[in-house]
Amino acid sequence: MNRNVIWKVVLILAVLVVFIVAIIPTANNPEPIKRGLDLKGGTHLVMRVNVGDAVRLETDQAAETLKTQAQKLNLPSVTTRRVNDSTFLAVVPAGVSTADYEKIAKDFLGAYDVSRTPEGALQFKMKTASLTAIERDTIEHAVETIRNRVDALGVTEPIIAPESGNRIVIQLPGVDDPARVKDIIKTTAVLQFRLVEGSTGADAATTLASVPENMKSEVDILPGTREDELGRPVGVEYYAIRKVVPVTGTDLKSARVQKGQLGQPNVGMSFTPDGARKFGALTGANVGRRLAIVLDNKVMSAPNIKSKIEDQGVIEGQFTQQQAADLALVLRSGSLPASLTTLEERTVGPSLGRDSIRQGVLASLIGFIALIAAVLLYYHGAGINAVLALLLNLVILLGMMAYFKATLTLPGIAGIILTLGMAVDSNVLVFERIREELRDGKTVRAAIEQGFSRAFGTIIDTHMTTIISALFLFQFGTGPIKGFAVTLLIGLFASVFTAFFVSRVIFDVVYKPEDRPSTISI
Amino acid sequence: MQIFVNTNYDFIKWRMAAVVFSLVWILVGAAFYLKNGINWGIDFAGGANIVLKFKDKVPMDKLRADLGDASIQQYGKPEENSALIRLPQLGREGDYAGATVAKLVKDLNPESADPNKVDLNYHGRDRIFDLLFTADPDARGTNDAAKKYYADMAQNIINKRSELGLFTNMSQVSSVPGVTANDSRVINQRAYPGAFNVLNQETVGPQVGRELQMKAIWAVILSTLAMGAYLWLRFDLMFGFSAIVCIVHDVLVSLAFLFMIRGEFSLNIVAALLLVVGYSINDTVVTYDRVRENRRKLKQRMTLEEQLNLGVNQTLSRTILTSGSVVIVLIALIIFGGKVIHEFAWILLIGVLAGTYSTVTIVPAVAIAWNNLTGRKHDISGPARSARVEEPRNEAPAPRKRKAV
Repeated sequence: MNRNVIWKVVLILAVLVVFIVAIIPTANNPEPIKRGLDLKGGTHLVMRVNVGDAVRLETDQAAETLKTQAQKLNLPSVTTRRVNDSTFLAVVPAGVSTADYEKIAKDFLGAYDVSRTPEGALQFKMKTASLTAIERDTIEHAVETIRNRVDALGVTEPIIAPESGNRIVIQLPGVDDPARVKDIIKTTAVLQFRLVEGSTGADAATTLASVPENMKSEVDILPGTREDELGRPVGVEYYAIRKVVPVTGTDLKSARVQKGQLGQPNVGMSFTPDGARKFGALTGANVGRRLAIVLDNKVMSAPNIKSKIEDQGVIEGQFTQQQAADLALVLRSGSLPASLTTLEERTVGPSLGRDSIRQGVLASLIGFIALIAAVLLYYHGAGINAVLALLLNLVILLGMMAYFKATLTLPGIAGIILTLGMAVDSNVLVFERIREELRDGKTVRAAIEQGFSRAFGTIIDTHMTTIISALFLFQFGTGPIKGFAVTLLIGLFASVFTAFFVSRVIFDVVYKPEDRPSTISI
Repeated sequence: MQIFVNTNYDFIKWRMAAVVFSLVWILVGAAFYLKNGINWGIDFAGGANIVLKFKDKVPMDKLRADLGDASIQQYGKPEENSALIRLPQLGREGDYAGATVAKLVKDLNPESADPNKVDLNYHGRDRIFDLLFTADPDARGTNDAAKKYYADMAQNIINKRSELGLFTNMSQVSSVPGVTANDSRVINQRAYPGAFNVLNQETVGPQVGRELQMKAIWAVILSTLAMGAYLWLRFDLMFGFSAIVCIVHDVLVSLAFLFMIRGEFSLNIVAALLLVVGYSINDTVVTYDRVRENRRKLKQRMTLEEQLNLGVNQTLSRTILTSGSVVIVLIALIIFGGKVIHEFAWILLIGVLAGTYSTVTIVPAVAIAWNNLTGRKHDISGPARSARVEEPRNEAPAPRKRKAV
């Protein structure tokens, strides 16, 4: 045999070995080809991060800063009003110069452009650069927090990736309780410790009426659960809660589920050293008053402060064991910087995935066997050649998917078998050309040579057109469709190699030029 | 075995009949479209799809009463006890399917009134673990080994559920490997097999739906144009144009079929259409390659009509066979592939068949019309010019030296 041919055979065998190794499951890698969510079961979520929340918070804080600094400098106090998420107005009392306030803005509020409205108020508008920075930070922070939570849930190989348009794509394979997971991801978990004013009432107006006149503008009215003497929920009541937030969830060191006096679950927490100092100062100065524990703008409980507390605290509420565990989890993983809105959700239960695999594989096997039968029937000896090329194509396709960590989806399974159908096309092009050359009276070797070289351009063209559409498919598609496009692309490249190179080598080995073959089974 | 050897059918003669046939087909599809509109799937229309598998017969009346504006159909065979619930788009974003499922869990399971009870067909591994670990029926304590013991048991129970589809009675739970008599007693007390298991739930908000619609339309249009441009570069303007007409034809024929069967226009259908764009053109490329090869070789006077007829006949067996291999596979997918890819495979099948059909009829028709309009430049005038048959006349780089099939 020609040395050149021997080297080619060696190359083909090497390729075969390399890709077979890639697809054999091992102890470390029991699933060499990853199944997509549609086959494995799991949840795909697209969430929008409402970055406006974070911007609004920033703006509120800026307004607060302006007031406190003015107070420090003994300037007459201003009233502020937020116009939109990134803009607020400060109305300076009549007859007072705005220059001092503008100086505060220059020193402390660098993120805002200050201008004067026709009415003489100062308008603070967040600079575009700051706005973009906040939005970027918010998304990053949200991704980080969601990752912490998902990791704490023990989801294996999650994907959490930011996308354009303030979106986050979350893929959670194998999730078996999507409702709970979504709740955990979406909980903002902003925990605050704030003092209660006045008394609670059955509606917001009653509660507000109980607040002293001078404090009315300093409180928020927030809902909480009304409980009877036995601690059972019996309705809603409203609290007047001070706007000032002395201690927040960021001051927590850890949170865990524990049992209350009656055996009901609650969440125990401990503070960081800094948090403990703040909490100590707050409780020490307000013994006898009520302290509200506010979670996501709902009052969880509002116990009386009996003495100064420094390092420990308890959140009580109407929790089931699971709810308490989930709350502890979200508190540990930190609060989200902004709320999330679900734009898209696709959840496939594991049993549906199982059915899909069974049907997909069955259809593919039957298609594959039919294809092999047709090729053998039509091309006899050369058909064996085509079948070998096809098998190698399958091995390369699966092996490449394993190497590239491409995911196998249900359309992807269809893609594999479709690719094999297309790979046969290339063999057909070559074989038909060889037959034609034979009819023209060429020798077997000449017909093989001519068949391959003349079919080459056509094979490239037909592959190029399909590759172009596969690229558009990839660009367009989501999840399963992308998996399909990837399978198709890999398969197309593999089929150029097998139909053109491998098939040729097989002919060269079977019909050696030095034997001067006079017949060919085709 | 060989078929279609040395054929000499006069395809060109029938081209006008074919054009009429295609137009009628497409117009019938258009009529269906005008009558019924597009049956947009959830991917594009937005809304929610929920597939539930019930323990017993699907409680259709209850579901209908509970979910006012939803469409509820049986999913799969009646004995599968499954239902597909489709909720129209609400016009605002939110976890629509999730909220509906939560409502159904509450309404269909009287046991759900107790929040501490676990629904074995709805809740997941963690809830079951929590139940077992807290109750500790096997007296394992609270160490890590105990945690693992109960976590494995919970996982086994969930695996059993995936295998069965759902639990229909508690004895199925008791028979899970590792579950002791004590465990099943506790599970019996604190858990129950709910009325249904969620096979699948999807929500697509209005924003994502709109974006996908635009993306789908652009993907089909741009890939068609890209294909035409590629073929223009490789061949000539006439062929590039004919190819685009051919692709548009194949896509329209497939779409018309979708409208006729009132199929749902989903992401998978767009994937199929994109593939039709890329694949149905293949045999056209093969045929035209041969036409070009002939033009280099042939010494006698020949009109474009004759050249096309010769090329189509010479490559006929290839055209039929290449499509045939894909058709074999598609038929297998249609029959055995299951619900999810059924329509996808049908559209591809029609597209591939349309591609083969248009190669021997529509493409020649367009090319001949083009040739007639541009002064018959593609005829071979005679032996004198055959030494240098015109190559593509456009500004594109001349094709590399290659031999054609």
